[in-house]
Amino acid sequence: MTTESSGPAVAAHASAHKLFSLRRTWAIAANTFRDLVRQKVFYFMLVFGLFLIGTSLLTASISFQGQLQTVMDVCLGAMSVFTMLLAVLATAMLLPKDMEDRTLYTILAKPVSRFEYLVGKLAGVTMILLVATLLMTAAFLVVLYFWQGREIENLQLTEMPERAAAAIAKVKSGTFTSTLFGGIGVIFFRSIVCAGLTLMISCFSTSWLFTVIISLMVIFAGYLVPMARSVWQGPLGTAEVPTHTAILLRLITVFVPDMQLFNVVDDIAVGINVDADVFVRIAGLGAGYLLVYLFVGWLFFAWREL
Amino acid sequence: MGTPAITIENLTKEFTNPSIFNRGKVTAVDSLSLTVEAGHVYGLLGPNGSGKSTTMKIVLGLVVPTSGRTCIFGRDSRDVESREAVGFLPENPYFYKFLTGSETLDFYGKLCGLGGKMLRDRSRELLALVGLESAADRRVGGYSKGMLQRIGLAQALVQDPRLLVLDEPTAGVDPAGSHDIRDLILRLKQRGITVLLCSHLLSQVQEICDRIGIMNHGKLVREGPLDDLISIENQTELTLENVSPALLAELRERAEAGGARVLGAHKPQQNLERYFLDVTAGKK
Amino acid sequence: MKGRVLGILVLLAWGVAKFSFESRLEQRMENTRLGGFKPTVSLRQQAGQAGFIAALGGLRAAVADLLWIRAHTAWHDVQYGRMKLLFDTCTAMQPRRILFWDLSAWHMAWNGAAHIENHEPDPVVRKAKMREFFMVGKDFLQRGIESNPDSWELYERLGTLYKDKLKDFERASKAYDEASNRPGHLEYTRRFAAYALAEVPGREREAYERLMTLFNESEHEWLLTLFRHIQNLEAKLAIPDEQRIWRTVVKFAGTPGKAGSAYAALTDLIKTGSREPAVIEAARALEQKMDIPAERRVKLPAQDKRPTD
Ligand SMILES: Nc1ncnc2c1ncn2[C@@H]1O[C@H](COP(=O)(O)OP(=O)(O)O)[C@@H](O)[C@H]1O
Ligand SMILES: [Mg+2]
Repeated sequence: MTTESSGPAVAAHASAHKLFSLRRTWAIAANTFRDLVRQKVFYFMLVFGLFLIGTSLLTASISFQGQLQTVMDVCLGAMSVFTMLLAVLATAMLLPKDMEDRTLYTILAKPVSRFEYLVGKLAGVTMILLVATLLMTAAFLVVLYFWQGREIENLQLTEMPERAAAAIAKVKSGTFTSTLFGGIGVIFFRSIVCAGLTLMISCFSTSWLFTVIISLMVIFAGYLVPMARSVWQGPLGTAEVPTHTAILLRLITVFVPDMQLFNVVDDIAVGINVDADVFVRIAGLGAGYLLVYLFVGWLFFAWREL
Repeated sequence: MGTPAITIENLTKEFTNPSIFNRGKVTAVDSLSLTVEAGHVYGLLGPNGSGKSTTMKIVLGLVVPTSGRTCIFGRDSRDVESREAVGFLPENPYFYKFLTGSETLDFYGKLCGLGGKMLRDRSRELLALVGLESAADRRVGGYSKGMLQRIGLAQALVQDPRLLVLDEPTAGVDPAGSHDIRDLILRLKQRGITVLLCSHLLSQVQEICDRIGIMNHGKLVREGPLDDLISIENQTELTLENVSPALLAELRERAEAGGARVLGAHKPQQNLERYFLDVTAGKK
Repeated sequence: MKGRVLGILVLLAWGVAKFSFESRLEQRMENTRLGGFKPTVSLRQQAGQAGFIAALGGLRAAVADLLWIRAHTAWHDVQYGRMKLLFDTCTAMQPRRILFWDLSAWHMAWNGAAHIENHEPDPVVRKAKMREFFMVGKDFLQRGIESNPDSWELYERLGTLYKDKLKDFERASKAYDEASNRPGHLEYTRRFAAYALAEVPGREREAYERLMTLFNESEHEWLLTLFRHIQNLEAKLAIPDEQRIWRTVVKFAGTPGKAGSAYAALTDLIKTGSREPAVIEAARALEQKMDIPAERRVKLPAQDKRPTD
């Protein structure tokens, strides 16, 4: 600290303050991304890679029909679980860490609004999730390509020619479909919704663990929403539903996102073609959730003592 | 004097005790009013838990007051733009440990809307200013306490603010480092930057502050220009070198003849901090 | 506090707003038969707690596959009861997976029934038990068709089950008909529908007309089974001699360049009961023309027994 004092002052930048600045938000997003990368979150992907290899070996060891579909089912299932876990775990850390290290003080003492801070954090996690999804998709496609070859070989050996030709054509046209990629898109979208949810929860939660547990519980309850809704809309089959359960199910319907709607992948491996408008609606719904979660998170966070 | 750098009007902050077993309220700041004029170095003193940090956080908009209001250069602390002209160094600052020193400054600069070459230059200049050039490319995770404090100062200065708020800037820093920080504050003051700082190292506060306020239990108990507060109006200190006992006796007699009373004569002691700095000066 | 209250109010408002959107989207997806999966209490009982939870968490398809593998282990251990339970679960979890329905039915109606046939000593019990297995298989196929009304494979399997196991040719014919009306079906389903109809008492005239349509369509349809069914019906319905198919085949034998297929057709006619001298004559003429060695020539009708396929 023996150097001379600084030279000319930095040019005045105190022009009109923007209510929401992309530049500031981007700075936070990029920093969040870099921080997570340097924390080696992508080691997580290594586990996914090993999982893929393991699945392949396991599938190879069981020899009867439907190997390709099994590989597809297991990989897509793993992808959706991995991205969801990554979203929850990575997001849950962000706020508590900044608060604990008091980096939040220095950030918010700059002309940064809390909303910009939250959006930036979410955008950073979104970038991580995007990269993770792309990496997993690449690995998945390689594995799928290999198994498609195997399946075609098998069909040539085992089916009668008349059936084989049709079956092979079906395998060829039915593996790398636009629906498959749409489904992976939905997996990605769902992971962002999970991240938004987790961020909102961490805006009022006081511990990392609490955030993770509550988020996972809400996401899990999200899969019960169709059932909960059917209680609302009418009798649930023949099952008797006691009043307090009915009230609980109604609360779930209102406060919990319907995760089943984001569960397109379970049907994709079966070769159902999903119309584009369904994807658009799912994306719209996801965007709605994100906006609401950000806004509510901000409401929680704006009044919070740091 | 123009607009004051900081105005605090009738500020009260109550915290709800976070413990479920004892849901009482803690009054951290109690009807506090004070003004920091632009260009001053203001020292806020007080024992631990007296509400200094809470006051600073409210000024910076990090904590919402229960009642009262605070302004920075006339802008309400609740507005985000009030933070454009202020740099803050929190108590025991800590930064993203995976970033290097210069990346850290880069990040904070971008938050202030800086970018490009201007930010690069600024960041290099600040690293030099706080003496971290050699550590610029090391990750902050490996920084010592003193280095963290310095990168914290640099971060606070990144947008060249008109006001600096420093919470215990020298806590946990070795005397040489703390001396450097003190020098830096004096230099900033010469450039017209207003500083609000709190510290319990009174000797340092004494050396740099124009004005001080003393808090206790959330209340401001004394406030005013430093010299006024601590000088004793009817006493004068005389320090002599190479004085013989005979001369000393004579002086004593002359004084008493003139109606003054000699309270004591003793060898002045060196300030321990000075002494320590002199002895260790060779190291740097 | 203020923030929390506001936040919860916003969530509540959104929850009410999203309700109908989600409900309609679910309907929409159900329509494309996308969200065919709805967790029901009975599924939970079947799948077991752990599987159920995983099934909900986006691993439904993967868990269904795993249970499918377990079902095959059960097959190796000859545990048909357990297999049925697992098949029920797999198909409930993944109702759009045609393979699951198809193989479940096949395991029950074919393998399960065969196991009974080989191991049950009491003939009365054997018959009853086998029929039970047939019905379980049929039930799988019918439920599968409910979830996959566009699948020709399941209808084809159902037709075969009616024909081979339950000997209900009328229903078999109907199932094959359904199969041949669905996209992607293979040609033989149409043929099989007509063949099965030929075995239904009282519908001979209708069957004859359908078989004749096939016969007149192209020589590619001139298969042994078709000839057998048509010749049987010609006799039963006393079709006038000049309308019988042997005339068409003999005429075809005169077409230049078609000697090979014409000879095959004539042979099949003889094998399925034709005793017309003109047919035999035409066959012999072609044998000479094509230089067919004696041992590979068609045997005389006198040496034949009842034709079989
Ligand atoms: N977030 C908080 N929640 C509850 N009590 C707090 C919080 N922050 C500070 N306090 C309390 O407020 C009082 C003042 O604290 P502080 O401003 O940090 O004092 P100082 O900085 O002067 O040491 C202390 O009694 C402290 O326990
Ligand atoms: Mg303090």
